Amino acid sequence: MNEQTDNHPDTEDELPSFEDAFTRLEEVVRQLEAGQMTLDQATALFEEGMKLAKVCNQMLSSAELKITRLQKDFAEQMNLVSGNDV
Amino acid sequence: MYARDHSPEVQTASHRQPRSVTEVSQLIRGRIESDPRLSNVLVTGEVADHRTPPSGHQYFTLRDRESSLRCVMFRGGRGGRFLEDGAQVICEGRVGIYASRGDLQINVSSVEPVGTGLLQARLDELKRKLANEGLFNPSRKRQIPAFPTRIAVITSIQGAVLQDITNILKRRYPMLNMVVIPAAVQGAQAAEEIIHAFVNLDALAQTTKVDAVVLARGGGSLEDLMAFNDEMVARTIFACRTPVISGVGHETDHTIADLVADIRAPTPSAAAEIASPDIIDLKVAVAASAKSMQRSLEFQISSARERFELTCDRLADSAYDAEMYRNNVDNLLNRATSASQRFMEIRTETIRRVEAQLQALGPQNTLKRGFTITRLKDGPVLTHASDLSIGDQIEVIFADGRAEAETVSIDTHTRFGD
Repeated sequence: MNEQTDNHPDTEDELPSFEDAFTRLEEVVRQLEAGQMTLDQATALFEEGMKLAKVCNQMLSSAELKITRLQKDFAEQMNLVSGNDV
Repeated sequence: MYARDHSPEVQTASHRQPRSVTEVSQLIRGRIESDPRLSNVLVTGEVADHRTPPSGHQYFTLRDRESSLRCVMFRGGRGGRFLEDGAQVICEGRVGIYASRGDLQINVSSVEPVGTGLLQARLDELKRKLANEGLFNPSRKRQIPAFPTRIAVITSIQGAVLQDITNILKRRYPMLNMVVIPAAVQGAQAAEEIIHAFVNLDALAQTTKVDAVVLARGGGSLEDLMAFNDEMVARTIFACRTPVISGVGHETDHTIADLVADIRAPTPSAAAEIASPDIIDLKVAVAASAKSMQRSLEFQISSARERFELTCDRLADSAYDAEMYRNNVDNLLNRATSASQRFMEIRTETIRRVEAQLQALGPQNTLKRGFTITRLKDGPVLTHASDLSIGDQIEVIFADGRAEAETVSIDTHTRFGD
């Protein structure tokens, strides 16, 4: 079963996650608020942050709850069934 | 009714042919012990005359308002500690005859208290046990990630609970993947199905990150919630590698599952809310971030402008400094000028004084003493005879006048005083 772990990469995790985008956004905001940088750096951070904010907003607006159901014999079938989409 | 059915036999016994005590006793005992209704009775009543001789057996009377029954509980019976005078208990046992005394008694195999409630007492005992083992330790409670990607839900697919949870997750955090792991949450199979659901969850968690699992069911009576007070369920939750949020029953129900879970929510809906951040909060946070960034950048720009203006000011200040310097120089020059003027005055005065002194030392007094000054007419003062030539017109200056003369002879060999 452990061998299977590597055969089933979590495809959703390959997209930038909301958590990553939002965490980076918070970091950018924090840095900008702290100041102590050149205007060039501030401008670059601002641009990055605004992009992140847009990405976050899109994710928040377009997301739709995905529901899957595990079958009762899921654990037994782990060697045959690839994942959670049952 | 029962006795009447066998009355012919009893009549036989009371006829001419007497039976021994033992025979009668055995007869009664046989009748009683063969009655399935008496071989396993549950009797509830109050404990009286409780005695515990050194043998370890316990003797007592179980009674209610009208009747009493003698009871014995042999050593090793369950729940013996609940026996004390005045206690309301439920005894499980078998009705029998103690032959040597002919006493009817109940051989009690287990005792459970009434009052606090049978289930409750069992529950409290299990709670104590699991608490001692550390299953409820706050130190082992795990955090739920702030931004979960996947939440598992263990509950019945029948009923409103699953729908409630789904609605809440849909509304609060639609970026989620929700994995439903069905399990009966009520009835004889519930504990087993819940444990099996956790096995499935662990299997899933080996290949796919599951941030939290919600174990949920609606409220119910203590009996309804049996599975959530099951020892094996508790141990399964304890062993689960995924953080567990329990949402069982209503606020007043506290199950063992609640105590073992990493987070206890008062209701299934509350569990779903704990499991998920609120999208509205996040939208507000993102908007606030954008605003904050704009403010920060504006501040950066305005402070850059300020710095620029400050630099300009400092440049202007430098010009002012130059002016100051110039003024200083002027000042110094003035001072130097006046100082030099004063110096000149002093010098002039000194010169005059020296002239006066020189005057005092001048030739006048010498002339008065008989000396004269000789010079060529309209020429320099003569100090050597050799400077003269015969015929030179000379002027002789006395203290009180002068005279003109002509050189008639020159002798450079004879000195004054020779």
